Amino acid sequence: MKNRKTKKHLSWNAKCMLCLIPSLLGTAVFFAFPYLRVLYYSLIDNQFRRNFVWLDNYIETLQNKYFLLALKNSLLLIIIAVPVLIILALLVSLVLSYGIRWVRKTRFAFVLPMVIPTASIVVIWRSVFNIGNFAEYSPLPIYFLFIWKNIGICIVLLTAALTSIEGNIYNAAKLDGANSFTLHTKITIPMIMPTVFFTVLLSIVNSFKIFKESYLFYGTNYPPDHSYTLQYYMNNNFLKLDYQSLASSAVLTSILVFGIVMAGMAIQRRYGK
Amino acid sequence: MKKIIAVIFSLLAFIFILPIAATVFFSFTDEGSFTLQGYADLLFDCFIFYPAFWNSVFYAAAITLIQLPVIILCAFGFSQSKFKGKSALFVFYIVLMMMPLQVTILPNYIGLRDMNLINTPWSIVLPMIFSPFGVVVMNQYMKSIDGSLIEAARLETSSVFRVIITSAIPQIRVCIFAVVLFVFADCWNMLEQPMLFLKDESLTTLSVFIANSAQYTGAVLFPAAVIFLIPVLILYLFFNENLEKGLTLGELS
Repeated sequence: MKNRKTKKHLSWNAKCMLCLIPSLLGTAVFFAFPYLRVLYYSLIDNQFRRNFVWLDNYIETLQNKYFLLALKNSLLLIIIAVPVLIILALLVSLVLSYGIRWVRKTRFAFVLPMVIPTASIVVIWRSVFNIGNFAEYSPLPIYFLFIWKNIGICIVLLTAALTSIEGNIYNAAKLDGANSFTLHTKITIPMIMPTVFFTVLLSIVNSFKIFKESYLFYGTNYPPDHSYTLQYYMNNNFLKLDYQSLASSAVLTSILVFGIVMAGMAIQRRYGK
Repeated sequence: MKKIIAVIFSLLAFIFILPIAATVFFSFTDEGSFTLQGYADLLFDCFIFYPAFWNSVFYAAAITLIQLPVIILCAFGFSQSKFKGKSALFVFYIVLMMMPLQVTILPNYIGLRDMNLINTPWSIVLPMIFSPFGVVVMNQYMKSIDGSLIEAARLETSSVFRVIITSAIPQIRVCIFAVVLFVFADCWNMLEQPMLFLKDESLTTLSVFIANSAQYTGAVLFPAAVIFLIPVLILYLFFNENLEKGLTLGELS
């Protein structure tokens, strides 16, 4: 009874804070606390002796030629595939939002791939790109797969932003004599800039998630050098249960992603509004 | 000009839909002629297929259904409460959402190992329930809902649950649909977790089955790929109208 009484006296604010608990608890148990363990593993020499070696594992990882290869390939994917993805998504979204009605019907072709499971699609990918051993020489099949799979979410987010622009702004600008090109460069693009930033950020982060696609495509833990990304490096260390390499590369990758997200949010705060 | 755009667009759309169409096409053909042999091999001779299929359904459905109340509660709590460090906590969720699986899977593994859950269905379901995507999306969406309706509901009852059910959920319906589609598709697409957390073949999923299907007899690959995409396709046809309205993720800060 007493318990019940105190519960009744809880303020609305306190009750709402209690709502956070299930999610926070799960996040703590499966993500946050074990991450601290990972951090600890990255600083010791091995599971059994547990001597602190501080940054030795990190230095070893940063000198590992596979880690460097993986890092290079991951960054190449960001530099090459992400801009192509964003520009294509932007063009498609603009045409879908302002184009002729018939063209809008093609939306599903671009959006559907994002929910299609990779394992379903990779079979056909393999049969197409194995012609002439193309995939042995070039990471392009993976870039295409990345763009194919990620354009949907970019288009959804950009279209949502485009449709939220009030029609009145355009009408006012038209009265002032703006043509359709200036309408888009002076109104549309600036208005959706925050969302563009977000899709860039999301795509960079998703490029770190491409492992599944690449793994299913090559069907091996050791793909050709040009497609050996950070995720392979970590997955292979996982299979070897090499906790120290795994922990230090996980921490390094998380720092990299954390940096990218923070920089992205700072840029958005500064220029996005 | 309009015609050129229309032509380019139909071509582009055709290229994007081609992989799916070709997968379906090849599942029914063998060296150029129509056949159902692949499906027959898969459905009658491949005994691991059925448990793998139902495991995939079970994991994805269980994760989606258990995750929903957790993220609705959390997003509602976020939008209604005020406390120090709230925005920092939300940034934490965003950063977690952005982390690649290869960063989070080791913490997941350690958490599961310490609870002796490795090689059980829970090792797949539990960590995914707390994947932060839904919390972030729903919290962003909660900002746009009508606060006065929540205020009005609060006058009727002091129970948080009643307020959520009577006034919050009806307002975030489109967002819930979008999240359901997204979370289900994400779980359905899982590969690393079943590969690394499960050892028993009886617990495995369809994605792992397809990844290993070179070792099974017959041309079961394309038929398995087609059957694998049917559930998400159905869900997509039901919910895709809500995607644009439900996922408003433009401004984070």
